Amino acid sequence: MATIQLRPGPSGVGFVLPLGLVMLLAFNVPVVLMLAWGFTSPKGVLVPWIDMVERTVYLRVLVNTFRIALIATATCAILGYPLAYWLCCLRGRARMIGLALVVLPFWVSILVRTYAWIVGLGNNGVVNRSLLGLGFVDEPLAILYNELGVIIGTTNVLLPFLVLPLFAAMVRIDRRLLMAAAGLGAGPWTVFRRVFLPLTLPALAAGSILVFILTLGFFITPAILGGGRVPMIANMIDMLINRLPRWELAAALSTVLLVATFVCYALYLRIGRAAQPS
Amino acid sequence: MGEPSWVRRLVAGLGVAVLVFLCLPIVIVVPMSFSSASSLEFPPPGLSLRWYEAFFGDPRWLEAAGTSLALAALASSLALLLGTIAAYGLVRGRFRGRPLVELNFMAPLILPQIITGVALYIFFARIGLLGSFAGLVIGHTVLAVPYTVLVMTVAIRAFDRDIERAALSLGAAWPVMAWRVLVPNLMPSAAAAWIFAFIISFDEVIVTIFLAGAHETIPKRMFNELVLQVNPTITAIATLLIGISVVTVLAVTTLARRAGLLTKIAD
Repeated sequence: MATIQLRPGPSGVGFVLPLGLVMLLAFNVPVVLMLAWGFTSPKGVLVPWIDMVERTVYLRVLVNTFRIALIATATCAILGYPLAYWLCCLRGRARMIGLALVVLPFWVSILVRTYAWIVGLGNNGVVNRSLLGLGFVDEPLAILYNELGVIIGTTNVLLPFLVLPLFAAMVRIDRRLLMAAAGLGAGPWTVFRRVFLPLTLPALAAGSILVFILTLGFFITPAILGGGRVPMIANMIDMLINRLPRWELAAALSTVLLVATFVCYALYLRIGRAAQPS
Repeated sequence: MGEPSWVRRLVAGLGVAVLVFLCLPIVIVVPMSFSSASSLEFPPPGLSLRWYEAFFGDPRWLEAAGTSLALAALASSLALLLGTIAAYGLVRGRFRGRPLVELNFMAPLILPQIITGVALYIFFARIGLLGSFAGLVIGHTVLAVPYTVLVMTVAIRAFDRDIERAALSLGAAWPVMAWRVLVPNLMPSAAAAWIFAFIISFDEVIVTIFLAGAHETIPKRMFNELVLQVNPTITAIATLLIGISVVTVLAVTTLARRAGLLTKIAD
């Protein structure tokens, strides 16, 4: 058909060019330049990297970030699996309402949700007042402006990222497989452990890696709920740029974060592909 | 599954508890915004609209709101325009390296925003765009691009190519076909993508903090105030933002349903 030749370039590459150019200039080039900054210290190419390893503060922040990310991911998995399972068991209107309550917080800004926890977790907050009122504790628990507060806030913000794909995977499972297992004499617990759970593991793993990646780069929640006492990589980078001016060290730390993110993302893609029934 | 009833009750109990945990921030903030007290006491000792008055009576907050709206409108429109054209190329085009190009468009979503922020900060400082409104628009457009490309790729993939072919073979030039066939059919998805991008830009904190200089947006002001002190005016703003989110979710759901209907008719 001759008319189709009217498109700018028969391969369609012309359509991609405008955005491609914008992304090249406003994203790819800046990111590459930033990575290069990590090796442009006037004192020596590797100085920021040696600093990063020798000054224990940076290593401590790195280790701290990975630890918090692991704990938040595990908490999300432990809380998210039963929720997704329960939503999967619900029918009709109840399921719609349940899903809407998972999706709604997802759409509310992270800043707003984090802010609410200042109100909720403080010494005079809802959580402590309820615990005191019920007599579980004698004095308010310290759950704000420390690591526990950051983990609670992070888990709360990232839970939908795990629950939604997990729910989708559970709904896709062919019910006849479960019936077949039960028909062959397996008890409910065995059906769950040997059939249902293995079928949902790839989605659980993929969702967990997603949560882990997002926690690694978390900035707002640790800044607000950590009260400056729980520095994570992103907060450290912010400080190195805006307060200390040590750009080359910020660039080096960003490189570490970038590599960690890409390694996790590659893993996520592999597991995600395994989770898709081809 | 035929699990015993106590297991079913346990799962339901856990599910409800986690749902409550998820929604607790919203449940706390909304009543607090109507509190009459200036301390963050929950439940509020009395009701008043003073924090809404504090917000609407403060020219600095209103100016920040204006900046946020203008920025989000510009960035999401740019991201939609560029993203839609690119999505068409990605779906219909046949060229080498297509998956790589697609991954590149998704990269701002995968990369931690702090990295995008630092990279643009260093780059804009060199070329003199740091602290400018144009720089902010560029930064927000880059962050919104993955969402518009994602939504429009799905929409174009679902659109029947034979309809395009029919229009072309009946003598319509490509631009006429695009304007009279593609644009009307993709409109509901485009609207959903635009709203999506708008919200992403409107809520953005991290890249804004790095690039904004003297410009104030609502989230940037909220963040800076929160790090310093607890100001109850923010509960009012938070409630307004939650209200906007609810309206948006409803709008997008409606649009998505209409988009789904249209593709069904096309089939």
